[in-house]
Amino acid sequence: YATQSNLGGNARCRLLLEALQAAIQDYVPSPKTKDVRHDISNVVLKPSFAYWTHHCRPHSVSMGNAFSFVKSAVAALDRDIAQQWNTSDEAKLILKESMEQYVQERVHYADQAIAHYMSDKSIIQDGDVILTYANYEVIAHVLLEAARRKTQFRVILVDSKPLLEGQSLLRTLREEGNIDCTYILLNALSFVMKDVTKVLLGAEALMNDGSVYARVGTACVASCCKKKNKSVLVCAETYKISHRVQLEAITNNELGNPKNVLQKDDDDDSDDNLRVIPLLYDLTPADFVSGIVTEMGILPPTSVAVLLREMNPDAAANSQGGF
Amino acid sequence: MATEQQQKEEDSLVLQDLKKNLTRGMALDDKTAVAMPVAAMNALLGVVQRTTSNTMMGLQDELKEASDQILEWNSTEGTRSNISLASGCDLFLRYSTRTFLELPDFDACREAILERGQRFAGISLAARDRIASVGHQFVGEGQVVLTHGGSRVVAALLLKAAETKHFSVYVLEGRPDATGAKAAEFYSKAGIPTKILLDAAVGQIMDEVDLVVVGAEGVVENGGIVNKLGTNALSICARAHDKPVYVAAESYKFARLYPLSQKDIPSNTSVKLDFVDTSSGKIELVKVPDAVQVHHPLSDYTPAKYITLLFTDLGVMTPSAVSDELIRLY
Repeated sequence: YATQSNLGGNARCRLLLEALQAAIQDYVPSPKTKDVRHDISNVVLKPSFAYWTHHCRPHSVSMGNAFSFVKSAVAALDRDIAQQWNTSDEAKLILKESMEQYVQERVHYADQAIAHYMSDKSIIQDGDVILTYANYEVIAHVLLEAARRKTQFRVILVDSKPLLEGQSLLRTLREEGNIDCTYILLNALSFVMKDVTKVLLGAEALMNDGSVYARVGTACVASCCKKKNKSVLVCAETYKISHRVQLEAITNNELGNPKNVLQKDDDDDSDDNLRVIPLLYDLTPADFVSGIVTEMGILPPTSVAVLLREMNPDAAANSQGGF
Repeated sequence: MATEQQQKEEDSLVLQDLKKNLTRGMALDDKTAVAMPVAAMNALLGVVQRTTSNTMMGLQDELKEASDQILEWNSTEGTRSNISLASGCDLFLRYSTRTFLELPDFDACREAILERGQRFAGISLAARDRIASVGHQFVGEGQVVLTHGGSRVVAALLLKAAETKHFSVYVLEGRPDATGAKAAEFYSKAGIPTKILLDAAVGQIMDEVDLVVVGAEGVVENGGIVNKLGTNALSICARAHDKPVYVAAESYKFARLYPLSQKDIPSNTSVKLDFVDTSSGKIELVKVPDAVQVHHPLSDYTPAKYITLLFTDLGVMTPSAVSDELIRLY
């Protein structure tokens, strides 16, 4: 996890839940424990999360929301069932099932629902030229579903350093969907703009005011497309909604590996006059987004706060566990 | 279930009801005139009254079928906007589901639907009055109000404003159905100084205008509106000159649509267009070869960014609040 080898909000969330799952399974309450649930939270959950966040890598919004969920699942355990932790597996089973259900519903089904919605409502139509940036699971689902329904469209994939994630999306779309693809780097964006009919972007997090926190470069793509009056749609599962608002992109950002941005001939890192800043995320203002597609349907970016209220009451109320 | 023959009679009954409702009166101040969604709801009420079904599922099916028929009829033979009819039908169906959740007993539920439905026409008139009372305050003394389309809601709003203020009204001609001329006649007779403009004069006159007020056939989820053709261009021009654009619409016009561009709004163009040259004082009909395509949709879509505020029976709201209301309703 610390090496940033697992990329993407969905992947990190899944892995977090798997890790917490293992930690919970291994937990053994001491005989003096008064309330097992309280103990799990303080001895297992909070310290682990804190360790991963401080020593390995800052958590994503998706991880934060998943963590809030796990805490409330533990707190919601029946007291008696929890107290029998050592003798019966029931509590462990309940927790295991709720966590698996969380991933199933909020990630997998959400992705499928979004993919079906985009095709059912004919948002992707014959003749469309769809532009996308970087690689997001939900975007792959959407495009593959449209291809499955024999919609005639083609995709322009825009990619850039430091991660060049677009290449894996390209591979997926070609191998699994046989979709007509064009691959360009970010600097060629203005050349292809003429043909583009729709823009589909993924997100790492949806902030409360409708701005979109996503892979670095997304804001560039969105602003260029909006200027040319293309519809910019952001596809994101609702569990990625954050109750916070960010005013600029540097806050809570992360640095990747500088070598991904600038390859130097010698391994001499002692050049004091040169700072390489390999930022991983940026913030796209709500103005550049025409609509946000979630498993609840499509809504304007200004309504993200309303959705948060309806869907994640714990994240809305809790300002500590969340992002 | 009804036989084929009965089914056919049932079909025409629904459409008969609808047509009866629609032709009741088109005058701007006619209190008995009904808006499209209300007409649709009255027609669907007829279905509820006549139903032989005694389960909610059965009734829902009948209502769904009736509303499909209404929409199909309108898209082939009707001349009005599909959106307002669709939103009216949708609202009725949603309301009946909601009532059923509150009153699981079928007969009680049916009674409740009928009772509320019959009150609806009255509710919609009250909505118009409420909109007029919040909206008229935005018209100032001595101002020039530009309007477009034949909205009864806007008419009510401007009449209310005229009770306490002096102002003048500019109306766009509104080809090809002369709504502008009809509206001008109405406002003039009401004692408000009125000017008719050619549709194309919008850019030239905008400096003199203080505010724009239009109605809506439908209000869409992202806060945009669907209204008579020309509203989009008018709004873009107004915003470019920094003039506010206000939309007066009842909340039952909020539709669950999210258009991304003009072509996402279907529009029927069954009316044939004539081209006349009146520059020489006489009316000269200009014949155009059949090979020439004529593009004249009846409505267009105005995106939320060109709309300043909406006056509704729920109060004055910004375009982004429309989505909040819809999320709450659903």
